[in-house]
Amino acid sequence: MLTTVGYNHQSRQLEPSLAEASTPRVLTILSSVLEKLVARNDRLRDCLSAELDELSLGSARLGKSFNAFHGVRAPNISIPKYLERLYKFTDCSPSCFVVGYVYIDRLVHRHPDSLVISLNVHRLLVTSVMVASKMLDDEHYNNAFFARVGGVSNAELNRLELELLFLLDFGVAVSSRVFEFYCLHLEKEMMFNGIGQKIERAIIPSAVDDLTEISVDDTQSSSPPLKSLGL
Amino acid sequence: MAVAGPGQLNVEEYPSWGSRSVDCFEKLEQIGEGTYGQVYMAREIRTGEIVALKKIRMDNEKEGFPITAIREIKILKKLHHENVIKLKEIVTSPGPETDEQGNQDGNKFKGGIYMVFEYMDHDLTGLADRPGLRFTVPQIKCYMKQLLTGLHYCHVNQVLHRDIKGSNLLIDNEGNLKLADFGLARSFSTDHTGNLTNRVITLWYRPPELLLGATKYGPAVDMWSVGCIFAELLNGKPILPGKNEPEQLNKIFELCGSPDELNWPGVSKMPWYNNFKPPRPMKRRIREVFRHFDRHALDLLDSMLTLNPEKRITAQDALVAEYFWNDPLPCDPKSLPKYESSHEFQTKKKRQQQRQNEETAKRQKLQHPQPHTRLPPIQHTGGQAHPSHWHGPNHPINNPQPPVSAGPSHHQYGRPRGPPGGPNRYPPSGNQSGGYNQNRGAQVGGYSGGPYPPQGRGPPYAGSGMPAPGQRGAASGYGVGPPNYSQSSQFGGSAGGRGPNPMGGNRNQQYGGWQQ
Repeated sequence: MLTTVGYNHQSRQLEPSLAEASTPRVLTILSSVLEKLVARNDRLRDCLSAELDELSLGSARLGKSFNAFHGVRAPNISIPKYLERLYKFTDCSPSCFVVGYVYIDRLVHRHPDSLVISLNVHRLLVTSVMVASKMLDDEHYNNAFFARVGGVSNAELNRLELELLFLLDFGVAVSSRVFEFYCLHLEKEMMFNGIGQKIERAIIPSAVDDLTEISVDDTQSSSPPLKSLGL
Repeated sequence: MAVAGPGQLNVEEYPSWGSRSVDCFEKLEQIGEGTYGQVYMAREIRTGEIVALKKIRMDNEKEGFPITAIREIKILKKLHHENVIKLKEIVTSPGPETDEQGNQDGNKFKGGIYMVFEYMDHDLTGLADRPGLRFTVPQIKCYMKQLLTGLHYCHVNQVLHRDIKGSNLLIDNEGNLKLADFGLARSFSTDHTGNLTNRVITLWYRPPELLLGATKYGPAVDMWSVGCIFAELLNGKPILPGKNEPEQLNKIFELCGSPDELNWPGVSKMPWYNNFKPPRPMKRRIREVFRHFDRHALDLLDSMLTLNPEKRITAQDALVAEYFWNDPLPCDPKSLPKYESSHEFQTKKKRQQQRQNEETAKRQKLQHPQPHTRLPPIQHTGGQAHPSHWHGPNHPINNPQPPVSAGPSHHQYGRPRGPPGGPNRYPPSGNQSGGYNQNRGAQVGGYSGGPYPPQGRGPPYAGSGMPAPGQRGAASGYGVGPPNYSQSSQFGGSAGGRGPNPMGGNRNQQYGGWQQ
């Protein structure tokens, strides 16, 4: 069940360390990375819409690329619980979560004016993990099942799947090099978290330009060089 | 690629796939119909270029976007080679709610999604099945070399095709052969630790390790299929036409001998070995059965149809086999004859008429029970061909000699010239008005899997725990395979001749009684 499909041969040595616990550690790390991102983006969005309101621009400047993934309100279930649920019920390999994370990161880079926030993170997750499992696992559950696990309707998930594929421009291939890069990146995050002293830096949205800087990372240097590595 | 400055990520350097509408194309005609969806020949309005549009069927709500399509797109996006079909772009059709245009959140994709491929005129099975047509040895070498070159490229890029068969090898009128239909393909790891589904590859071309239940396998699976195709080209008909999996294995053992720990260490631990092992050892008979093949061909075939996948020849090694470096050398693709057939649209009725005639002819010609009509290559056939057999009562006379241009073309063609793309490929021969009279039937399989609907793509991935009715392999007696039956069409572009395989499915439906 925890075995990964041999999709990324180089990263396989890496994978067991992420997957050894009963709940693979990749879930824990991913949860913490995403929670941080969402918390930051939620604040950013609030600041921004306030600021834009003052400029009487409304929130028109926020990108609409992820609108299909927006819920009316944030779901009650936390990101860690949601990821755990996906993992537990869908049987997909831990690699799928890494690749799902790659997709979300690619989305963010392709559509830099759109934010991963608490309103859309769940739908983004279930969709990207599902697409990843379609890519990686020869055996996988269908959309209907993922929809039930993810708490969305089958029709909606199908729509989101298409939305994701087109937003990604069908760039769903993840080379073993990129996969390994992301694993290393996540492990680095884990080390930071292990120390637990990392202070989250506040983002001061002084300029609208900052919006385009959004990435999964806090620092630009650790931001995966997607355009050069990805498809 | 320019380095994007802060806030200027360069996301729109190339036109986004899916950004164009299918309205950019004018559908000319449907050329295929498979489980995957319809395939159309179409013309891009702006450039006039002829393309193949493969509609992605989205009607299975539970499955969502078809796994075969998503994988095919993913893999073809990263493969760029003159012997691999080129996926040009993805286009969408606006669907019913056109008034919602511009609304990114709407169901703008509901209308349909199409993959746009370069257009290819034929597929290998379609060509091989042309009545009276015999490939020359340089031609077979030319096709084999291209097949191996394309496959080697896939394997180097860690892609397993997993459905190599004649109908997935597309051929254009420039003699170029390209691998197509990557719906079952996947990436693989070199350490073979993967846990892969073994329900892949059309039965007749499926290697023994898959039939014995292997879930860890590699590029060797494709090489077995190549061996089957190679033998088929030389032999004039499929060599291992099993009706179901046990029979398939049995046919393999009859030809290649039974596996044991000596010739295939570890085979006795294969999941289904004990179910299928033959009661008594069987002798390898390849060299006896195909003793009429030339020596180098036989050597190569022998190394391809090796039971033990570890010992089976790789695409790379096959390319340097003596076979390709001895006279007659592979010919230049450009020197190959341009096969034409009339357009289905014009000849639909005529064809129906002919079909009836053929049925009559078939009944009258029971003294010719051979189920397969292909002719072995010219060198080997001598008097074996029965050209007169193909003459139905009301048929136009057939020219028993194919328009082979074996003549001066026996030179090595080294690396094929670059990708032949561009619109200038399409009107290669005189009487093709707007591409309307290109051969249609032959192409069906490659794009759509059309001729072999029972194989259903999709099902192999139906998912653990999910009931997967109609899963590949579950049904015995697949409708696969090259037709058995002669259709008396003209090749060589005579007017009024009909396509050799009218519709993909017809090959099986209409002539389903091939197994005698």
